[in-house]
Amino acid sequence: MTEPEIKPEVMRISWGPQHPMSGQTRILIDVDGEIVRRIIADIGFTHRGIEKILENRTFIQGIVPIERMVMADTANIALGYVQAVEEALGIEVPERAKWIRSLICEMGRINSHLYAFGLQVECTGYFPAVFLWTTVDREVLLDLFEKLTGARWSYSFFIPGGVRADLPEGFRDEVKRAVKYLRRRFQDYWDAMVENPLFEMRNRGVGVLSREDAIRLGATGPVLRGSGVDMDVRRDEPYAAYGDLDFKVITEREGDCLARLKVRFHEIEQSLNIMEQIADEIPGGPVRTKVSLFPRSKPGVEALSRVETARGELGVHIFTDGGMKPYRVKINSPTLRNMYVFERLAELDRVLVADLPVILYSIDPWYLDCDR
Amino acid sequence: MQARSEEELVEELKREHSDLLVEAVVHRSKRVSIVAKREKLLELARLLRDKYSFTHPVSAGAIDYIKEGKMQMIYYLMNPESRFMLMLRVDLPRDNPKMPSMTQIWEAMSFHEREAWEMFGIDFEGHPNLTHLLLPPDWRGGYPLRKDFKGEGIAP
Amino acid sequence: MAERFAAPIYGVIDYLLTWARKFSIWPIHFVTGCCSPEFMQVSGSRFDMERLGVLPFASVRQCDCLMVVGVISRKMGERVKYLYEQMGEPKFVVSVGACPTGRGPFYDSYATVAIDDLVPVDVYIPGCPPRPEAIIQGLMLLQEKIRKECGLRAGKE
Repeated sequence: MTEPEIKPEVMRISWGPQHPMSGQTRILIDVDGEIVRRIIADIGFTHRGIEKILENRTFIQGIVPIERMVMADTANIALGYVQAVEEALGIEVPERAKWIRSLICEMGRINSHLYAFGLQVECTGYFPAVFLWTTVDREVLLDLFEKLTGARWSYSFFIPGGVRADLPEGFRDEVKRAVKYLRRRFQDYWDAMVENPLFEMRNRGVGVLSREDAIRLGATGPVLRGSGVDMDVRRDEPYAAYGDLDFKVITEREGDCLARLKVRFHEIEQSLNIMEQIADEIPGGPVRTKVSLFPRSKPGVEALSRVETARGELGVHIFTDGGMKPYRVKINSPTLRNMYVFERLAELDRVLVADLPVILYSIDPWYLDCDR
Repeated sequence: MQARSEEELVEELKREHSDLLVEAVVHRSKRVSIVAKREKLLELARLLRDKYSFTHPVSAGAIDYIKEGKMQMIYYLMNPESRFMLMLRVDLPRDNPKMPSMTQIWEAMSFHEREAWEMFGIDFEGHPNLTHLLLPPDWRGGYPLRKDFKGEGIAP
Repeated sequence: MAERFAAPIYGVIDYLLTWARKFSIWPIHFVTGCCSPEFMQVSGSRFDMERLGVLPFASVRQCDCLMVVGVISRKMGERVKYLYEQMGEPKFVVSVGACPTGRGPFYDSYATVAIDDLVPVDVYIPGCPPRPEAIIQGLMLLQEKIRKECGLRAGKE
């Protein structure tokens, strides 16, 4: 990027892609002593051109590139694309498939929130210990995925018309056992980290985003809900089985890093409740409607599908032209919206250099999602 | 004031502001699409933000309709009360795609307009920082998401 | 007579040198793409890679391995090259995943680069993402390579 000019009394730090705590991006910080005057996010280090690639893949082949947008939470992203394809081609989905989709989406959400929680704790004081605890808990969920689909992260389990396979024998009991184990672990995390006065000192009152600013700047996901706005696509436009399930939308009022962490924490609790409900009440029936491998679309149809991923709201807008491949796929990424909020935080609140990693990870960016 | 539903909004726009629009339809529940006239776009956008409270910007993107010789720019907007998705569209001629930037109305469209510029070549007048967002800063090639992009500018 | 004792002594020193080198491969703490969660699971408690001596370290000058984990775009490719040039000898490059090897699922994209165009690679680990056992096998292949090539006689044959 052609960088804007620097004024003489500030120093520009390039917090670059090779850094333990920056992720795959470069962030330019103009500092004046300890106070951050300006933040410039230089993204694009993981740009793969997914929107162009999807124009060259048939509708079912397109699931593979698009689910590699966020590896921690591939279920929700793939669901967004598959639902848009189903709406554009007019395909119906059976009830049992919708419930299985919700189950896998919630497991993906817990996976991603654990990752975000581990990273936020790690950058607060370089506690890789808690991050390594979270890797063990993710193994429990990854074993469940492997039993069901065969792969750990990128399973391509949703296809237009349903899901690929039914739940194996004894899977519902295993889900319940995993939920019991995870509930016990979350009590440990709450006691060790969130009720920890040192952790609170680093996170309370840091990076405050008010309710009006969150709406005006287009924040999404836990960033928006941590500032008191209760918008959640699972409740506003119910998709998959969320219309039949019973869960709460978590909001907190303060808008600082601790509030966002608490939103994620309580969302994990709600996801565990949803998993138990699904394991108890899932209806019977087929899991797939037969669709040809190369479905052909009608020309001039467009379909926008919105889902709630762990980071926020994802939109997939498909335009068709009558062929076997889409004409254009526009992806509305959640992290791109939140990175704009991150850039403006230096003007909205007094930010110190030492607080910057904590704020960045409380916004929970996944750069492959904003670069696509 | 009670937030308007999709049908009420479309009715009111057609009744009172039909000189600013080309078309306004409700695709299905929670999806409304408005095509604005190019010279009245700023006025319509300001009206949507101030009178109808579409203050929550979601995203923006473009499509290249090469056979019809036009490009269409779409802005996705939401109202935090009524929570349906409004798509504000405008058609631009393909050989000279210029339009006023919407950052003067919704500040958060800055990143999305930068991406539309570097991928399609649409020139946004009044944008504070129209530089490359996702592509490398020394990209010398064409506009990647146009339909006639042949892979120029790719240097190893 | 000195030659009769030289070969066994060289052998012992060779063995100790390569043993020390292969059990302390320090990669740069640098992930480029979506294989990163799998890489972090490998450094987690179940598939522990630190028992092999592999510790991701932040400072480039003190590392000896560049593990390219995930897809390389053009902007990132320049940085990969800079990092490769900044490491000290002997240095190794491991390409983790299908994307750096041959662009993976994004094979026809205008924005991705295969790592062979930028730096010389020692070990390729295919998979999308590769299983943790596969990553550990790749590291053990790198250890074999170090044992054969990095002793006292390196470069003399």
